[in-house]
Amino acid sequence: MTIAPSLDVDSLQAVSTHRDLDRAARRVLVTNWRTRATVPAAKLYPHQWSWDSAFIAIGLRHLSPTRAQQELESLFGAQWRDGRVPHIVFDPGVAMDAYFPGPGFWRSGSSNAAAVPTSGIVQPPAHALAAWAAYRADPAVARIRGFLPRMYPKLARWHHYLLTQRDLGGAGLASIVHPWESGMDNSPAWDAPLSRIEPMPLGSFTRRDLAHAPAAERPTDLDYGRYIRLASDYRDAGYTDSPSVHAFAIEDPMYNALLIAGEHVLADIAAAIGRDPAPHRATAARLTSNLMNRLYDPAAGMFFPRDVQTGEVVRSWSVTGLMPLIVPGLPVARDLVTTALNNRFRLREACPLPSYDLTAPDYDPSHYWRGPGWVNTSWLFWHGLRLHGETTLADDLRARLLQRVHETGFREYVDPLTGAGHGSDGFSWTAALTLDLIRAA
Amino acid sequence: MIRISCQEQLLPGETLQDKWEFAQRAGYDAIEVRGRGDFAFRDRLPELRRAARDGVPMPSVCVEMLHFFGAFDADLRRDAVAQMKSQLSVIAEIGGPGAVACTPASYGMFSRRLPPFEPPRSEQDDRAVLIEGLTELGEHAAREGVVLALEPLNRYEDHMVNRIEQAVELIDTVGLPSIKVLADTYHMNIEEDEPTSALVMAAAHLGHVQVSDSNRLQPGAGHLDWAALLGTLDAIGYSGHLAVECRLRGEPVTAVAGIPALLRRHSVGVAA
Repeated sequence: MTIAPSLDVDSLQAVSTHRDLDRAARRVLVTNWRTRATVPAAKLYPHQWSWDSAFIAIGLRHLSPTRAQQELESLFGAQWRDGRVPHIVFDPGVAMDAYFPGPGFWRSGSSNAAAVPTSGIVQPPAHALAAWAAYRADPAVARIRGFLPRMYPKLARWHHYLLTQRDLGGAGLASIVHPWESGMDNSPAWDAPLSRIEPMPLGSFTRRDLAHAPAAERPTDLDYGRYIRLASDYRDAGYTDSPSVHAFAIEDPMYNALLIAGEHVLADIAAAIGRDPAPHRATAARLTSNLMNRLYDPAAGMFFPRDVQTGEVVRSWSVTGLMPLIVPGLPVARDLVTTALNNRFRLREACPLPSYDLTAPDYDPSHYWRGPGWVNTSWLFWHGLRLHGETTLADDLRARLLQRVHETGFREYVDPLTGAGHGSDGFSWTAALTLDLIRAA
Repeated sequence: MIRISCQEQLLPGETLQDKWEFAQRAGYDAIEVRGRGDFAFRDRLPELRRAARDGVPMPSVCVEMLHFFGAFDADLRRDAVAQMKSQLSVIAEIGGPGAVACTPASYGMFSRRLPPFEPPRSEQDDRAVLIEGLTELGEHAAREGVVLALEPLNRYEDHMVNRIEQAVELIDTVGLPSIKVLADTYHMNIEEDEPTSALVMAAAHLGHVQVSDSNRLQPGAGHLDWAALLGTLDAIGYSGHLAVECRLRGEPVTAVAGIPALLRRHSVGVAA
């Protein structure tokens, strides 16, 4: 005779909590859905953002596999002729001045075949991961829609742009040319390279971000003036990529780690549709070697960005340096985990994973990318932990992330020690990745 | 866990008890009965009472008439109101607490998309008629402890209430909690910018849901995104039935038996 296992109260409670959280997460995603894509947040971010859509698709696939595919198709429908995927695709139905810098600033013209107004910079390439996740949620539906055969050449062109036009250091890594391209807009890692940039005069533009969030949590006016300078110089150079155009050029660990993970996935996608996966595997191996040689500091057990203009490493302990954990076969995975466990990031307690060194004098738990934690970088680290067999740490991080979101809501970013929520509420990728974490059990 | 009911005419069997036997085996949770005019529904009371006593759950009635409370003709309007009041009373007796009686504003009476395009009654007068009818029916529903569900129909079937937000606006104007919105996935697919967004906006007013695919056939036969629809209904806390009201493609018994599995396969809630 068998004895039925007894269900303890804690696990029953967790199931009930997760069910409510799952419903609430889906409410955010349906509320922020705009017919073919999802806005990151209804007020602060009223258009489609590139890497947001990737993380959103990873969760949206649990609500609707079709929508997850549409999310990515909508973004790549505005892909530029040169292969770049713009960081914002503007919704023509939203007022031109609802977001700054808007379409009038970027003047993307006919840079994409559809002539959809977009920005001219890019964001981290999490899209191949998202496409594969969307496909796997319902392969039958994806096959009917021809999803992978349609997405594969677009994803390949996107990566090709980054691997060629953006290899500004000539060392076989992609460079970002604006802090916004890192996704971690205001990270202290960009302070030194950014300080060389002459800011645009304050009166020459009007910020829109301050209407939706306290100024103390947003970038300063001086930094904003530098952001606008970099963006307008790039625009005025016709968005051509060369070291002479880009006063700011950085080889960023997370950016390149996503590119490498993406190449691994492109190999899987290629194989699934009868194309040759080998070139993607070779690219991934080459980039991993470059990443190790250029950006890894063995003594620190950490990856650091490299400033292409000066050739110097930027020794800033920001979360970007932990993100290469998502690279399959990374030879220093265990060292990175050790670094994440130490006082700077306190993996076992801090949640979400802090965006910046908890022990740094300028650590600020409420300031945009200067301390608080984001669910997307935490999700990536969780994904990396699972990839490298660190299942106990992964399960623990997952449980605490879900608890955090349950207590704080679907905020844009969170104080990793107190759990105080910041930025936008009803933030799409927080909701989407919550759905994914719930269903990863 | 979603709850699915099936309209009685789609189920094989002579009696409601036979139909329920079949429905249960196919995975349905209830039967939606149909209410004909001339007090035919009231006249079925002995049959309905026997079925209820035998445990057949019948939480809703869908009206089956050709004139409704928004009719141009005053006599037809009066009759429609009398019929609906009777149906509300009958479903209160056999349907249990929270039972639902469904009605559109009109059906097949006028379409602004078909000649002669301009209806014989002004929009203002349409509205007055609808509010008067809803008030009388809503008050009766409240007395009976049941819900009147107002169903928007697509533009070719009704010229007054096509979208969920129009129904919500009328219900808010009348101000009776006994009147709710009926969301029908087929009509929504034609009329709403985005059906799931309409559901989110109407969440507090949603009283009943009828399901059929984009082509009016059984769920799965058309192109509706069932995962998104069912995931949204669960997310906004809708706990009523999904009543299957459709035409059937293929062998009817097989077709109707396959619907619960299709819907449950695309229901995205986290299991208890």
